[in-house]
Amino acid sequence: MITIDRKPIETDVLIVGGGIAGLMAAINAADHGVSVTVAEKANTKRSGCGATGNDHFMCYLPEIHGNDITPVIAEYKNSQVGGFSDLSLATTFLEQSSARVKDWDNWGISMRPKGKWDFSGHAFPGRPRIWLKYAGHNQKEVLTREAKKRGVRIENHLPITDIITNADGVAIGAMGIDTRDDNPIIKLFKAKSLVLTTGCGSRLYPAPTPGWMFNTANCPSCTGGAQAMAFRAGAKLINMEFPQRHAGPKYFARCGKATWIGLYKDPAGEIVGPFVKKATRELGDITGDIWSSVFTDMHRSGEGPVYMDCSATSKEDYEYMMWGLVEEGDTGMLNYMSDQGIDPQKHQIEFMQYEPFLCGRGIEININARSSVEGLYAAGDPVGNFRADIAGAATFGWIAGESAAERAKGVDRFLDINDSTIVEDRGALYSSFIEKESGADWKEANLALQQIMGDYAGVDVRSETLLKAGLKYLKDLKTKATSTLSATNSHTLLRAIESMDLIDCGETVLSAAIERKETRQQHIRSDFPFTNPLLANKFLTVKQQEGEIHMEWREKR
Amino acid sequence: MPPIIDKEKCNACGVCADICCMDVFKVVDKKKSPIIRYPEECWHCNACVLDCKHEALSLRIPLPSMMLHVDANVATD
Repeated sequence: MITIDRKPIETDVLIVGGGIAGLMAAINAADHGVSVTVAEKANTKRSGCGATGNDHFMCYLPEIHGNDITPVIAEYKNSQVGGFSDLSLATTFLEQSSARVKDWDNWGISMRPKGKWDFSGHAFPGRPRIWLKYAGHNQKEVLTREAKKRGVRIENHLPITDIITNADGVAIGAMGIDTRDDNPIIKLFKAKSLVLTTGCGSRLYPAPTPGWMFNTANCPSCTGGAQAMAFRAGAKLINMEFPQRHAGPKYFARCGKATWIGLYKDPAGEIVGPFVKKATRELGDITGDIWSSVFTDMHRSGEGPVYMDCSATSKEDYEYMMWGLVEEGDTGMLNYMSDQGIDPQKHQIEFMQYEPFLCGRGIEININARSSVEGLYAAGDPVGNFRADIAGAATFGWIAGESAAERAKGVDRFLDINDSTIVEDRGALYSSFIEKESGADWKEANLALQQIMGDYAGVDVRSETLLKAGLKYLKDLKTKATSTLSATNSHTLLRAIESMDLIDCGETVLSAAIERKETRQQHIRSDFPFTNPLLANKFLTVKQQEGEIHMEWREKR
Repeated sequence: MPPIIDKEKCNACGVCADICCMDVFKVVDKKKSPIIRYPEECWHCNACVLDCKHEALSLRIPLPSMMLHVDANVATD
């Protein structure tokens, strides 16, 4: 049995994951006068999708956009992140986004590095520009410092694996695994409120390189933990059926396509999209946002490849782009390009569409960032009914921190976590992985999952027969993985647990995809090839109750 | 496979191992450079390179991640 440290850490608010949303939640919760602990899988200074930077912070700044927020809300809806959000949440986000921009600027994350509010990139000609270009390279270090300044306790290398609920279904604590040493130790937490902020869900579908799982655009350490934990705790997930894909340089999977200032072109040198004839820092080629499958579509039709061509970009804008890629956090890619003599002024870079991942697909929250489970809040990428990437994480993280703190203030004592069987049950499962002398490596489980997801819940074709077969195979895999997974140390144990979390996420994707009997966006059903107007304003939720999956349709809010 | 530690420059401070989000490194002996235990799990985020005060770190990007490119304006020629 893995050693369980039976003395729980007591904290008013437990933040699960120290990314952008988690650190913002921690800062604001601490500002509301409660004790706060962040439990982080890696190190908050360099973890998650914002580890080394980011490009844009979507926001509404009245001094730039005017006092009427309406056109900005409309622009949000039409943006690449706006399709699957409750408008009430998006409006709240936009209303508060200005204050968060000012916070970051005051703390030392430069939000106007060129001396002015600079809305460049992700923009349409003639329309409001709502993506603020900022200098994100130091964001994690700054937010970590601000959290510590307020007395937040940060536990690095201590990923939370499970939420502890009581008999009434209220979240009262959590268990995690101290991975600082090769011998894992299970740690317990008592908390009055919990905030789930573990980032996106990578490694669910096959990545560009066959058999390789870490060549991903988004952080491969983010593996749908929040969604899986929340699902097991009985929380509703939402929008799980919709695949979400990024695009960027082919085979060097990396985010930041809107930071490139160039034109998407076919091999004959023709521009593939209708939006701009010359790319500038203010108006790059937004084709990749609007027609994100252009790279796949033109490859399949034989008209490809599609290239990013920056050769006609002005010298000033080229320099701005290269600066932007540094602030985006793409220095690994830039160093490689420099080493290899790849020069965007001379070379066109082929782009591709990456595999689906979970972002803006996950936990349903209300306007206060509360999930459907009492005591349990969520923010950032694992939220399913709102998405605005880094800005959304910052703003709803902030909201979640306040909500969690206010709830904690109204709870007079920590509840007894020993009444729950979760620690014993999950502890026994994780211990069984460590105790096996031989068995399936975590990679087997993760790759087996990826091939099922790619073939049976993929983006090319879905149908009732394929999805139901996929769900059956996934359950078979879960049974086999549960009984055969083997881990040698805390690192491989964590990877095994991540694989199990991803299997839980996959089950919700397949279940919801069966239920949505229409084709919409990238959810393409061969047996229902039309988009049903009756479902246009409806979201689908999925939750687990007594081992059974329950789904519900609801109106958008 | 990435990353690579230049042992001449490394002072065994362990920062790379502490901040790596993928837990690629392992400190086996606190007086020695970390070992690269799980190189295939590197995400190429470059945090170790950025945070090494001694410039001892570099990444070697593996062949499957080669960036596909052609000369501008003469793509198919």
